[in-house]
Amino acid sequence: MKVRLKLFAVFRRYLPPGTQGNACDVEVPDGTQVSDLLSRFGVPEKESLLILVNGRDAGPDRVLRDGDVVAVFPTLAGG
Amino acid sequence: MFGWHGKILRVDLTNENVSVEEVDPQMAKDFIGGRGWSIQYLYGEVDPTVDPLAPENKLIFGTGPLTATPAPTGNRYVVTTKSPLTGALSCSNSGGMFPTEMKRTGFDLFIFEGRAERPVYLWVNDDQVEIRPAEHLWGKTVHQTEDILLEETDPKAKVACIGPAGERLVKIAAIMNDKHRAAARSGVGAVMGSKMLKAVVVRGTQKTPLAEPQAMRELCKLVHSEVSRDVKKGSSLREYGTAYVPPVTNEIGILPTRNFQTGVFEGVDNINGPTLTENYLIRPKPCFGCPIACGRDTRVDDPLYGGEGEGPEYETIAALGSGCGIDNLAAVAKANYVCNELGVDTISMGVTLSCAMEMYEKGVLPESDVGRPLRFGDADAVIALIKQTAYREGFGDALAEGSYRLAEKYGHPELSITAKKLECPGYDPRGAKGMGLLYATSNIGASHMAGDLAYPEVFGVPKKIDPLTIENKPHLIHRFEDAFTVIDAAGLCVFLSLRYLFDSDVNLWPARLTKLMNYATGAGYTEETLLQAGERIFNLERLFLLKAGFTKDDDTLPRRMLEEPMPEGPAKGHVVELDEMLPEFYRLRGWDENGVPTNARLAELGLKC
Repeated sequence: MKVRLKLFAVFRRYLPPGTQGNACDVEVPDGTQVSDLLSRFGVPEKESLLILVNGRDAGPDRVLRDGDVVAVFPTLAGG
Repeated sequence: MFGWHGKILRVDLTNENVSVEEVDPQMAKDFIGGRGWSIQYLYGEVDPTVDPLAPENKLIFGTGPLTATPAPTGNRYVVTTKSPLTGALSCSNSGGMFPTEMKRTGFDLFIFEGRAERPVYLWVNDDQVEIRPAEHLWGKTVHQTEDILLEETDPKAKVACIGPAGERLVKIAAIMNDKHRAAARSGVGAVMGSKMLKAVVVRGTQKTPLAEPQAMRELCKLVHSEVSRDVKKGSSLREYGTAYVPPVTNEIGILPTRNFQTGVFEGVDNINGPTLTENYLIRPKPCFGCPIACGRDTRVDDPLYGGEGEGPEYETIAALGSGCGIDNLAAVAKANYVCNELGVDTISMGVTLSCAMEMYEKGVLPESDVGRPLRFGDADAVIALIKQTAYREGFGDALAEGSYRLAEKYGHPELSITAKKLECPGYDPRGAKGMGLLYATSNIGASHMAGDLAYPEVFGVPKKIDPLTIENKPHLIHRFEDAFTVIDAAGLCVFLSLRYLFDSDVNLWPARLTKLMNYATGAGYTEETLLQAGERIFNLERLFLLKAGFTKDDDTLPRRMLEEPMPEGPAKGHVVELDEMLPEFYRLRGWDENGVPTNARLAELGLKC
């Protein structure tokens, strides 16, 4: 199944080189959890980070569905 | 005294006279500093029903006890006055270099009174204070003004000034410092202009005396090392500035788009941090003593939008970018440079323009009044109209009154996205409901910095909370408003303090901040008494508003936020259930059902009505 992964802010560096913008589409097996996706891209899970699936809060153990949009970024501040 | 100098500089502009006053140590402690002292003086000396542009209003620059100390980000000041835009309070905050230099002159506060007969500027060189003629500066831009002033005073001096907008009493005029930093909100620039005060120039060598300098240095070193460690791992603020935020707010569906008609912007990928860093960034820029360096030195080489300066920040990108339907970051940067040069609040400018755009597209604002078409996405119109606003030329004269008066003039006040007539910042509260309660209850109107619950609701700092629920938000907004009042009054920047000086809990226990305050002042605060001082300040500000004529009916939000469900995105279908949060908020604050502080609460805080 296909999901879209967006890595914001400094997490952008974990996207494959040559990625346009901050998103890439990924083929994943059924039953894939967010944490599987993160380790596949080398996003360090020990960092405090925020996970959104389709714009809503989600945990690393969330099981993904076809067409989900997963956005991940480090917790920091704006203003 | 320690931390505080304990000295106020009073500037009587009518008689061109200055005087120095000592500060009562008990008042100093009870009201922390900066913003807290300022409301104490304003409430005591200014009738809250005064016309904000009359000589009887006072303009107060307030540094805090931690300004110009080793405290990381101890580099801020607050401008307090009655606002000509809202009729409520202004507490506009700015960093850069000016606040530190101001504190070094040996004064904690400058209080400007009356009105000069001719344009003047104030030159404070340690304890040498002069009111000098400024006719030669009147009409000059912010950058021209600063360049001339540094030549006539001291190249190492720091400058706060108004541009043409403040001179013309534009109600959304800012007070700029260090050319590119802004005490922007609430039209404080217009108050300064109404007093014929063009600029304040400071040069100081007085060190801030510290009660426990060794302990202070050790704690500051520890905090610095933690920040440096985190920055080394990868700091989004250092790398991208606050411009990293648009994709985040867009992802949760709260990025203001086309006058808050929706929270999802199709052009977001063109107006974000990486675009800024890759195309326009010269270098990150820190305020005085800050290890983060979220500021941006930028330059745009472009035939249409060429310019140089600092920024744009997130709020500017939201208000002048997505808010106006513009997805060209060079154009947003240029709009930002123009606002800074002429001294205009980018948030209010953007939201006033987007209000005009919506009215134009709905056919209620005639093109003949504007003098050109005014559709969402028209960056050239935005830039031209910013200049017209600053100079009150043509349609700019109407824009200069802010979106509420503009929309009211055309019979559609509901299209002004404001609270207490202050334009809403870059978080649509239908998707971040705590922010809705904040906008409705802040003492300056719709401000995100009055108690920024976007930290936990959007960014997960200190912890992530659900932005779409209303549970517990009254309690959290109460705590955040008081904590942010403390940060402002102490003279610190929120970005660092929130993360490193409070315990990692959403109730914001100020453990380290209390230590810093005590090492600086020796005043023996506990965490409770420090937060209580924040509450005291907030309540005195509230009393000022009530005496100015505000009622619970003004603790509200635009109709769009209350009644028009978000049309798309993760917050689709949501509105702000303000009427379900407000009564609980009043109760927690110790206010009656009309939002008036009870005698019991006032007595607890040592305030009299």
